[in-house]
Amino acid sequence: MLKRGATKKAQVMSLEEAVKTYIKDGCMIGFGGFTAMNRNPTAVAWEMVRQGIKNVHCMDRHGSACSWILNAVGAIKIYETDWMGWGEMAGKLDVNLERNYKAGKMILEDYSHGAMAMRFLAGAIGAPFIPYYAPQGSDLYNTKYDALGRAGLRGKDPKIPKIKFQEMADPFYGAGNVMLLPAARLDVAVIHVAQCGEKGTARWRGIGTIDKEICFAADKVIVVCEELTPEADLRKNPENNQIPYFVVDAIVELPWGGYPSAVPFYYDYDAPFMRGMDAASRNPEDLKKWLDDWVFGPKSWEEVMIKVGAKRMLELKADSTTGYSTRILRGKKPAPRMKMPLSVARSGY
Amino acid sequence: MAKTVEQLMELIDKIPDEAAKPGEFILPELMAIQIAHQVRDDDIVFAGTGLPMVGIMTANMLNAPHALLIYEAGICDGKTMHVPMSVCDQRAANMSSSLGGLVDTFGFFLQQGFVTLGFLGGAAIDKYGGVNVTSIGDYYKPAHRFTGSGGNSDIGTMSKRVAYIILQEKRRFLERNEYTTTPGWWCWDFKKNEWRPKKEVWKGTPFADSGPVAVVTNMGVYKFDNNGEIFLESFHPGVTVQQIQENCGFALNVKNVKGETKPPTYRELFVLREFVDAELIFLPQKVEYPAAIKKLIES
Repeated sequence: MLKRGATKKAQVMSLEEAVKTYIKDGCMIGFGGFTAMNRNPTAVAWEMVRQGIKNVHCMDRHGSACSWILNAVGAIKIYETDWMGWGEMAGKLDVNLERNYKAGKMILEDYSHGAMAMRFLAGAIGAPFIPYYAPQGSDLYNTKYDALGRAGLRGKDPKIPKIKFQEMADPFYGAGNVMLLPAARLDVAVIHVAQCGEKGTARWRGIGTIDKEICFAADKVIVVCEELTPEADLRKNPENNQIPYFVVDAIVELPWGGYPSAVPFYYDYDAPFMRGMDAASRNPEDLKKWLDDWVFGPKSWEEVMIKVGAKRMLELKADSTTGYSTRILRGKKPAPRMKMPLSVARSGY
Repeated sequence: MAKTVEQLMELIDKIPDEAAKPGEFILPELMAIQIAHQVRDDDIVFAGTGLPMVGIMTANMLNAPHALLIYEAGICDGKTMHVPMSVCDQRAANMSSSLGGLVDTFGFFLQQGFVTLGFLGGAAIDKYGGVNVTSIGDYYKPAHRFTGSGGNSDIGTMSKRVAYIILQEKRRFLERNEYTTTPGWWCWDFKKNEWRPKKEVWKGTPFADSGPVAVVTNMGVYKFDNNGEIFLESFHPGVTVQQIQENCGFALNVKNVKGETKPPTYRELFVLREFVDAELIFLPQKVEYPAAIKKLIES
């Protein structure tokens, strides 16, 4: 089956329109970026909550600001991933997720990080499954802990594999046993990038995490960008582009749409804000207030950023040389201004 | 006037490489330096967020300047100036050799067999170095649900040498984990309900001989014997072997204890405090240097 016709064109649309068009109750969705720290399409999850989208089957590389917001209102029904925290050193555990899980409101399906990366690679290259060594001997491959199977969900939805994994002896080189892992297939992938052309060619700076793989593993792709850039400009240096336009369905231009995560060379992550989210999630009343203040109160994403304020935005603005900010206070003391990393200054590479 | 970072850099070799005395350093500093000591100059290191990352950064600035650091989100040989709060932090990507994604780090680097040292955290550990970062209690109705594997089980099984940093408590040092996220030298066979050596489970793969070599806790440093069982190598200053045994959930081998854990040196502390975590993100506070060291720094 051909996935796409050659005539398909990506459309530039508003955040509200993109969510309304492509994200439905119960859909299987994957978010790009890495934890809550780098290139999260936060605004999309925020808009999903505002539109009341429910029963989401989230499948991605791990928790993020997106999953945190969705879990805050109990919108995730199935979470299939490898790391269920979100903010790393600014909020490791997702307290909302733990609360929902313990209350029996959601299903967690555990894999390892490498296994999820391989599953998305298989999904992206159109392979039905992929062999991977790790982690044999782990309870991750204990059939007792197949949560989707236990819930009777396997073999029904065409996007949920019939089994969680299959152990197999290497038939080609005889190099021990491997685990065959099912391709990850999504209804929708959402990524946040630096620039996107009007036709859909997309470019990020910094690390790639799993963004290209989730885009190719999905039926529909939403690209949120800091800047809508003329396609012609992006094609002057095509080696710097990562997403070819033909997989993209919706383009949303939304500066600061990745906040509170970082978008390298645009802005840094807001660790103090994330610590505030973490604190709010620990008490249902505080969480309700947080949601009213930050999700349901503001009329637009622009209003969210007005509320964050110019002072904080100036502090977060990335340096053009490093791609991050040396002005934001992340710990108890300001960042030292350094010209060269100590290891390089003393010992080279 | 306060010195610039560049002026402080020039001081490093003048700071004595002598052991600091009790009270001149804090426990997280001792632990970070202990991690640093596990790193060799020719290592390719894959480390997790938190204290492991601080430790390997310290190593990169001291004893292992050419160690190649891989950060999970796609970073190869990052040369950091500011301590990253995540393995995807742009700070970790600074002056790196190449940037990619998870398929690069877990596939091209890790499964391809390039990684010589993995450094990870854990919520609980068994006597063979198997780690739980998933849940406590019944898996489906847990008393505590943690984050789950992340890269722990990939890095912990496919790096040639693996080291863990874990908070030592009786309920975290166990005969066997309730849930094994990352197996150590012996894997629990849940079909036969018995231990099987990793060498057998992973037989024929390139990783049959890869596994845990060291554990650093808040109380001591541990190594593994030929049978893959953990033993106490040293106890931290101010901690007794008996206290360690009381904080261990199984009969711990203490026959090979070499003595007290070597305290960090003034030079190591200087690098850790001024260059690795000058922002005080991981370290809770900055301890005053003794008068003689202070004089050297301010001169």
